[in-house]
Amino acid sequence: MVSNRFVLKRLLLLFPVLFGVATVVFAILHLSPGDPAVVIAGDRASQEFVEQIRSDLGLDDPLWQQYVRFLGDVATFDFGQSYQVNRGTQVSQILVDRLPITIELALLGQFAGLLFGLPLGILSAVKQDTWTDHLTRVGALSGISVPIYWSGPLLILLFAQFLGILPTSGRIGSEYFIEPATGLILVDTLLAGNVPAFQSAVVHLLLPVVVLGIYQMALLSRMMRSSMVEVIRQDYIRTARAKGQGSKITVMKHGLRNAFIPVITVIGIQFGSLLGGAVLTETVFEINGIGTLLVDAISRSDYPVVQGTVLVFAVLYTLVNLAVDITYSVLDPRIEQ
Amino acid sequence: MSTETQTGTVDRSIVERLRASPFLSQLVSNRLAVTGLVIIAVVVVVAIYARFTYDLSNLMATQFGTNPSEAAPSIEYPFGTDGQARDIFPRVLYGAWYAVLYGTVTVAASTFLGVGLGIVAAYYGDLTDNVIMRTMDVLLSFPSLLLALALVTIFPEELGLWRAVGALTLVYTPRFARVVRGAALKVLEDEYTDATKALGATDPRLLIRHILPNCLAPITVQSTLNYGLAIIDIAALSFLGFGASPGEPTWGMMLSNGVEFGLFSGAWWWSFFPGLLLALTVLGFNLLGDGMRDALDPRMRETVD
Repeated sequence: MVSNRFVLKRLLLLFPVLFGVATVVFAILHLSPGDPAVVIAGDRASQEFVEQIRSDLGLDDPLWQQYVRFLGDVATFDFGQSYQVNRGTQVSQILVDRLPITIELALLGQFAGLLFGLPLGILSAVKQDTWTDHLTRVGALSGISVPIYWSGPLLILLFAQFLGILPTSGRIGSEYFIEPATGLILVDTLLAGNVPAFQSAVVHLLLPVVVLGIYQMALLSRMMRSSMVEVIRQDYIRTARAKGQGSKITVMKHGLRNAFIPVITVIGIQFGSLLGGAVLTETVFEINGIGTLLVDAISRSDYPVVQGTVLVFAVLYTLVNLAVDITYSVLDPRIEQ
Repeated sequence: MSTETQTGTVDRSIVERLRASPFLSQLVSNRLAVTGLVIIAVVVVVAIYARFTYDLSNLMATQFGTNPSEAAPSIEYPFGTDGQARDIFPRVLYGAWYAVLYGTVTVAASTFLGVGLGIVAAYYGDLTDNVIMRTMDVLLSFPSLLLALALVTIFPEELGLWRAVGALTLVYTPRFARVVRGAALKVLEDEYTDATKALGATDPRLLIRHILPNCLAPITVQSTLNYGLAIIDIAALSFLGFGASPGEPTWGMMLSNGVEFGLFSGAWWWSFFPGLLLALTVLGFNLLGDGMRDALDPRMRETVD
C-alpha cells in the first residue's frame, strides 16, 4: 500500500518546482530583446504612446516588483491579455479553449503508442536475437529517427493528395459545427449525438495520431523490450518454468507485471517528448491546439501568451510525472524508501 | 547478507571487465552499431566535401534562367530543383555540413557545461550540490522542445541558427549534469579517490585527472544519443521558423520551404530529399549510441529523450 505520507511529500515538493518553473519563465521573457510596449503600440506609434503603455503595464517598476507581481498573477492563473494572437482576450481563456485540443491529440497518440509499442516490445524480448527481434529494433530506432515534420507531410501527400481517402488538415470537416462542451472533439460530437460529425473527426484525427503515435510506439517498444529481457532472466521466471508452467503463461503472468514497472516511469519521462511531438504535429496538420498557439505567439512577440502557454506545458508535464511517481509507488512499494 | 555481498562483487567485476578492453570488440561485433558508424562517417565526409566544394552564396542565390524551376529529379538534377530554380542536390549535401557543425557545437557545449556542473555538484555536495541540481531539476520540468522554443527568443535574431544552438545547449545541459553527477558519486566511493586525496592531490587535479576519466563511458553514450536528438531538434526549430534564415541550405529550412510551397503542387522532391538525409543521419547516431550502450553495460538503460 502506498502511504499517505509519501503522496503528501511528493505534493509538497511540487511547490518549489513550480516556483522555479515560474521564475525561469519570468527570466526568459525579461531576457528577450523585444519590448512588449512597442509590440502593443505598433511600429508607427509615437514615443509618448509607447511610454504610456509601458507605465500602464508596470514595465517601469523595479524588476523585483515586477517579479513579485508576476508570481501573484501566476498563482491566480491571471496571465494578462493577448497582444497579438487574440488581441484583448484573456490568456487564461485562450488556454482553456485550446488546451483540450492538445490534450486529446497527446492522449490519442500515447494510446496508439501503447497499443502497438508494448506488444512489439514483448515480442522482441521473447524472440530475443532472432530476425523478428532485429527487425523490430531497427524499426523502433527508425521510428525515433524520422522527424514528424517529414513523415507527416508525406503521409498527407499519400493519403490525402494521391489516394484522396483522408482529409489534409484540421480536426473536423468545416461543414460541422459542434458546440464545445469538453473541448475534446471526439467526446463533444458523441455528446451532441452527431454521428457523421464524429466520423469526420475520427477521419481527421487519424493521420495526426498515427504520426505522433509512431514515435511513442518506437520509444515504448524499445523500453518494453529491454525491461522484459531483464525480467525473463530472473530466478522467479526460471522457478515458474521449472514448476512446469508453460512459457506463455509465465511470460504473461510473472514477466509482464514486473517488466511493466520501469515502462510506466518512461511514459512519464517521455510525456515531454509527446508534448513536443504534439506541437510539431499540430503545426503540420493545422490543428489549433496550444502548440500552434505557442509557435504563433513567439513569432509575433505575444509575450503574455508565450508565458501562459509555456507555464501550462511545464505544469502539465510536472503533474503527469507526479502521477507516474505515485502509480509507481503503488506498483512497487519499495520505491518509497 | 553474505550472499548479497558476493553478488555485489561479482557484478562489479563484470562491469569492470566490460569497461576495460572488450568494449571496442563488442561494439564492432554489433552489426547495427557498425552500420551507424558507417552512416555517420559518410555524412561527415559529405559535409566536409560540400563545405569545400560549393560556394555558399551561389547555393543561396536564385537560379532563374540557369535552371528550370521545380524540375523533377533527373540525371542532370538528381534531387530536382526548387521554386527558386536552385539545384537541390548540392544544397542537400551542404545541409550535411550545417547538421554536423551545429550538431557538434550543441553537443560539445552541453557536454562541457553538464560535465562541469555534474562533477562539481557530486564532489562538493551539500549546498553546492543542491543549488546546481535543483536548478537542473527545474530546467528538466519543461518539455525539451518547448523550452527550446521559449529560449530561442532570448537570443538576438541576427544570430540565425546559432540561436537554436544556444537554446538547445541550455536544454540538454541538465541531462549531462545528472548522468555525470551519478557516475562521479560512484567513483567518489571508491578507495582510490581517498588514496589520491591522502597523497595530497588538489581538488582540480582530483576532479580532472581521476574522476572525469572514470565517468567517460556514460558521458560518451549520452553524447552520442544526444547528437541525433540535437540534429533533429535544430531542424525542428528551423521548420517552425526559428533559426535558419530563408535560402540557407539547412535540411530543416529546405524541408519547411518544400512542404509549404512545393509538396502539394507536385514538387515532392523539394522536401523529400532533405528529410531523407536528416532521418538517415539521425538514425546513424541512434544506431551507434544504442550499440555503445549495449556494449558498455547491458543494464544501463537510458532513454533517448
